[in-house]
Amino acid sequence: MSPLAFFVERIDTILKNVLIVLMALLLVDVSWQVLTRFVLPTPSSFTEELARFLLIWIGLLGSAQAYRHKMHLGVDILVKSMSTSKATVINRFVQIITILFSASVLIYGGMKLVLLAYHLEQKSAAMQINMGIIYLALPLSGILLSLFAFEKLLAPPEARATSTTNNTDNVEGA
Amino acid sequence: MDYTIIILLVSFVVLLAINTPIAVSIAVATVLTMLATMGPNAALTTVAQRMASGLDSFALLAIPFFILSGYLMGQGGIARRLINFAMVLVGRFSGGLALVNVIACALFGSISGSAVAATSAIGGFMIPAMNKEGYDKNFNTAVTVTASTTGMLIPPSNILIIFSLASGGVSIAALFMAGYIPGLLVAFGLMIVCAIYAKRHNFPSGLKYSFREGITHLLAAIPSLFLIFIVIGGIIGGYFTPTEAGAIAVIYALILSVGVYREISFADLPQILLKSVQTTAIVMLLIGASAAMSWMLSYEFIPQTFTELILSLSENPIMILILINIMLLVVGTFMDMTPAVLIFTPILMPVMAAMNISPVHFGIMMILNLSIGLCTPPVGSVLFVGCSIGKTTIGEVVKPLLPLYAAMFICLLLVTFVPAFSEALPRIFGLID
Repeated sequence: MSPLAFFVERIDTILKNVLIVLMALLLVDVSWQVLTRFVLPTPSSFTEELARFLLIWIGLLGSAQAYRHKMHLGVDILVKSMSTSKATVINRFVQIITILFSASVLIYGGMKLVLLAYHLEQKSAAMQINMGIIYLALPLSGILLSLFAFEKLLAPPEARATSTTNNTDNVEGA
Repeated sequence: MDYTIIILLVSFVVLLAINTPIAVSIAVATVLTMLATMGPNAALTTVAQRMASGLDSFALLAIPFFILSGYLMGQGGIARRLINFAMVLVGRFSGGLALVNVIACALFGSISGSAVAATSAIGGFMIPAMNKEGYDKNFNTAVTVTASTTGMLIPPSNILIIFSLASGGVSIAALFMAGYIPGLLVAFGLMIVCAIYAKRHNFPSGLKYSFREGITHLLAAIPSLFLIFIVIGGIIGGYFTPTEAGAIAVIYALILSVGVYREISFADLPQILLKSVQTTAIVMLLIGASAAMSWMLSYEFIPQTFTELILSLSENPIMILILINIMLLVVGTFMDMTPAVLIFTPILMPVMAAMNISPVHFGIMMILNLSIGLCTPPVGSVLFVGCSIGKTTIGEVVKPLLPLYAAMFICLLLVTFVPAFSEALPRIFGLID
């Protein structure tokens, strides 16, 4: 295994565990909200906000993880009808687009947003967290996404692995 | 104005054609279009900001929960109990197994909120069972695929939550109630086709149960069916929000599958959580990117322009509805349901408003229309999964699919032109006026 592949594999494993914990936390959080609303006299005020922020992190970091495993939806009819060598070229081009998207929107645009919120001391309503911390999910997801796209960019062409996306997973409005 | 639309369309179509993930295509096409009218700094920050704020919604949280409860139930032995229940209901008729398949798919699709999950959970059991009884395997696959999509309309349904978000906050409770009759209508239409097909091909009737066995299977299915009751009852009665209902559904499914049925162990849970995260993230990235795109569309006045264009073609609501349905059928054959709903809802809403069509009616019509697209090649996630489970090819399934498409299409016409199909129930419950 090349050092890069080893590194990416490690990152992927850590990311998986983080996501599992975040999802479990989300479930506990909203269940707690239901419980406090029906059982305890004072409904909790922070659970709704925490849940929304957890979803942003799960959505953005999870997207990077799903990208590595080629789970995002796409239209692959054209690519499937091509020769392997042509499809590989196209596939590498798509990886470059993903890297450019991550670098410009998620990392650059996201970082601007983080700094702006930080300087304006924009705080969340209930928990008084600086919104910059919430928005940090954008650049972080961008770094992971570009890392995974870079891994695919360098990967050797394989006959059946030229598709970037997936059409059979559980996502049609899920 | 004109050239921004051209940049948008060309970049989006090219990106999609080369198999860029749809969410990335949406975001990149949005950035490129915005660069035509504003500086790169403003464009990139705005897109990033819209993506983050697009995900910042408590209503969206229902989606990961319904996805998670769907996975728990797919593996938790609930599918088999629903099949037995359906067998008691309709198994004795000729072509019984096909009818059982439709009902079980509709029930499971409703509980899990996923057509793909219904196809694999119910089809995985029913298709081999029907094959064994001498039914044609391509027909079996076709029935499973089409019947699974009824779960998109029968609540709880994630796609209706996504529509609520894309339409700017149509009541989820109203949409849920609105989906019942059209969803059952489609299931009923499919069952009629099955019955005719079974008569013609002399398919045998399914199992006949004694009264005692029937009661046993009925009782076994009640805990699974009770979930629908809690979730829908709770939302409609105003006891909890859809998100809270989602969390309750997860807890309930956990207790049922881990505690009562014991078909999932605690060791399986991390893997199930991860699968739900991945499915959730795919939907979330689409929602974030679409939020950026719809901001850009309204910034460029594209929905207004589109509305004027459509209304200049015809003033007749019937013609316009036909036109829009044809457009959506074409979109549905090439694009999955979630991105299609996210992209086209904000564009089409003003047209509907101009014609006094209620958002609830429009939403149900759109989902039913796009459901047909889920079962058509070249892009049809449910069809692909169905073919791999039925061990057949798309080319062979198309022939038995044709009469089933026809049934769905007739239902689409009814739902399009008779608003009462979608509006009656929410009106009875006082959810719309």
